[in-house]
Amino acid sequence: MPLFFLHIDDGTQKIEDEEGSEHPDLEAAREEALGSARQLWAAAILKQQDIGARRFVIVSGNGDIADTVEMDDALPRSLLDRLKMQSRP
Amino acid sequence: MTFNNRLLRALPPADQNVLRPHLRWSELERGTVLVSPDEPITHVWFPESGLSSIIAMAGNDQGIEVGLAGRDGLIGMPLLLDADRTPHRIFMQVTGVGYNIDGDLFRTVLDEHAGIRKLLLRYVQAYSTQTTYTALSNAMHTVEERLARWLLMSHDRQDDDEIPLTHDFLALMLGVRRPSVTIALHSLEGLGFIKATRGLIVVRKREELEEFAGAGYGVPEAEYERLIGQLR
Repeated sequence: MPLFFLHIDDGTQKIEDEEGSEHPDLEAAREEALGSARQLWAAAILKQQDIGARRFVIVSGNGDIADTVEMDDALPRSLLDRLKMQSRP
Repeated sequence: MTFNNRLLRALPPADQNVLRPHLRWSELERGTVLVSPDEPITHVWFPESGLSSIIAMAGNDQGIEVGLAGRDGLIGMPLLLDADRTPHRIFMQVTGVGYNIDGDLFRTVLDEHAGIRKLLLRYVQAYSTQTTYTALSNAMHTVEERLARWLLMSHDRQDDDEIPLTHDFLALMLGVRRPSVTIALHSLEGLGFIKATRGLIVVRKREELEEFAGAGYGVPEAEYERLIGQLR
């Protein structure tokens, strides 16, 4: 199975995934990033932290950026829409 | 032969001599499965070094660590409790060495030597305290606090400060996805408690790590020392 690295980037600092993990394809690696993002949101909400600025940068085994997953992509669509409405002036 | 295993070491010399002829030296490579779910347990192991994980299974290939045993304990506890198998899976997650004894012989020795049985039953009490605090920690603590606790428990069971573990293993230990481990390690590293490089975690500030781990760490360790003796 191909190796993917799920680096985390919040614009100011990058947390490297040094080991990587094997997934059948990019879609599976994206699913892992989305599931991880939900887990990170759950922990962040308990600590009253906003981690919306973070994103997963999925890098394939040969070092190419294969995709990015925003933390917000992991939230339920209806919640995201409500948040966007509330943030309008 | 001086034992590094804390249980064997805690036995009086006469009881050590009872066990000694039955003990076989055993290499315990990382990944070695010592106990498989619902299969008869054939041996009991007394690790001298390394770490084993006791995993509660959720289906065939998923699970979470519910217990940890290294030189502090033994593997194959059901045989001590008049059971021949367990739903748990037990494997080595850090390479070590140890002694094993045939399961039937072990039971015969226990039947004939109440002192050995008593000491090992006290270990069961200490171990069960450890698992209850794992439950407490899983329910009440953040991933960072649980990771700190786990690193301390691991550190207790070895001589040096370098813990050879991958993020994958830690994710299984803590029941979280790998990126949660990566971030938690990054946080502890940011606080200066540890240094994490690929596959290796170095404990830098043990006392601070203990303070950070909070209520999850300390009670089971004190219980072990009360019942058995020195843990570290």
